[in-house]
Amino acid sequence: MLQAHSLLWHYLWVAPNVLLLLLAALIWRRKISEQYPVFLFFAVVSAIEQLTVYVTDLLPSVSPEPWYYIFGGGLLVEALIKFAVIGEIFGVLLGMYPSLAKLGRALISMAGAALLSVATAVAAFTPENNTHWIVSHVHIFEQSIYMIECGLILFLFGFAAYFKLRWSRPAFGIILGLGISACVHLATWALMATPHFPEVYSVRLVFLNMATYHVCVLIWFYFLLVPPKKISRAGGSPLPEHRLEVWNEELERLLHK
Amino acid sequence: MNLAIVIVIFAALALAIILSVAVSRSLQTSRRNAALTAAIRPIDIEAFRNLIDPAEDSYLRRRLPPAQFRVVRRERLRAMAAYVHVAGSNAVVLIRVGEAALASGDEKVAGAARQLVNDALLLRRNTTVALARIYLALAWPNSGFAAARVVERYEHLSGAAMLLGRLQNPVVPVRLSALN
Repeated sequence: MLQAHSLLWHYLWVAPNVLLLLLAALIWRRKISEQYPVFLFFAVVSAIEQLTVYVTDLLPSVSPEPWYYIFGGGLLVEALIKFAVIGEIFGVLLGMYPSLAKLGRALISMAGAALLSVATAVAAFTPENNTHWIVSHVHIFEQSIYMIECGLILFLFGFAAYFKLRWSRPAFGIILGLGISACVHLATWALMATPHFPEVYSVRLVFLNMATYHVCVLIWFYFLLVPPKKISRAGGSPLPEHRLEVWNEELERLLHK
Repeated sequence: MNLAIVIVIFAALALAIILSVAVSRSLQTSRRNAALTAAIRPIDIEAFRNLIDPAEDSYLRRRLPPAQFRVVRRERLRAMAAYVHVAGSNAVVLIRVGEAALASGDEKVAGAARQLVNDALLLRRNTTVALARIYLALAWPNSGFAAARVVERYEHLSGAAMLLGRLQNPVVPVRLSALN
């Protein structure tokens, strides 16, 4: 069952991407995409890219080397769009808190630069695991991308937690799905990029990746399409308006003194 | 293989953090404002002002031998850190109070709450910067740079802390300053 080209393998490769296309159509119809246009773009492009790679994998006319070029190219495009999605979510989060916008942008730029440096250094020290350079380079490239993605998402969660920022439901769902997917993929690709890693385990890790991605697509369905439960805000006595205004004026004066 | 193991451990930790955030978010219940404001800890503003007074530092620098001055200065910096830490915690409480009020159907209250949240976030940010400066000053207690900048920040914070006290419910005032 856990073998390449088994029924489960076909399902796990095709189903999440078909579901992602369906999700894209639904969020476009419900106008949720107006606030998350980059995510809509990601959903469409990623699904098409994955399905293209799947079809080329089945075609006997496509030999392994060209297939790896297609796979690597798709990976690069997908990675760039994912970084754009993370930027979009960070923008949505900071949009609700203008006082943190400047600091947030500066910090995420620094975090991005630091992660890029670390990922480059790790890639330089990772030995090649295959005699075909394209195969090992794609593995290392994938590991580097997920390292940066994972770090950026962790930074986002840390930043929001430190300042007690409130996530909007769709933004939280999108970043949660991307985060889970990035962590699992990072771990599995790090193992698969190791020289002499047993092939039988590699196939199992590919299954784990595909299953995780399927779960992440379902997470996006849940957070983007299922309306939130009504939480009663009992006891939330409104803040005294006139005192707030005085306090805010004074605080602004003090902070900008 | 060692490098791969390190990456796998990092990824596992990252996944655990992300999942714990997701679980804590789903378990989050809205606390009552009263319970939130009760978490605010008052600050003895006069003691704080005395602590950040540059004249006090100059006086101690003149009167004490350098080694003893460094010890005393470190003690004062630690006390400052404790005050700023409390101010930062109070800012967190105010962020939560503001967030709770954001759900209000009243547009005016929601607008005011949004402003409150932004101001409390500024306070939180400033306390973080101030704490970083204090810890730097702890490493180099003789550096004038740290003293001047930290005091400046603390004056802002002390004012903000007093104002936080004024913000609270007029019926049951929760004060951030013990003497205000």
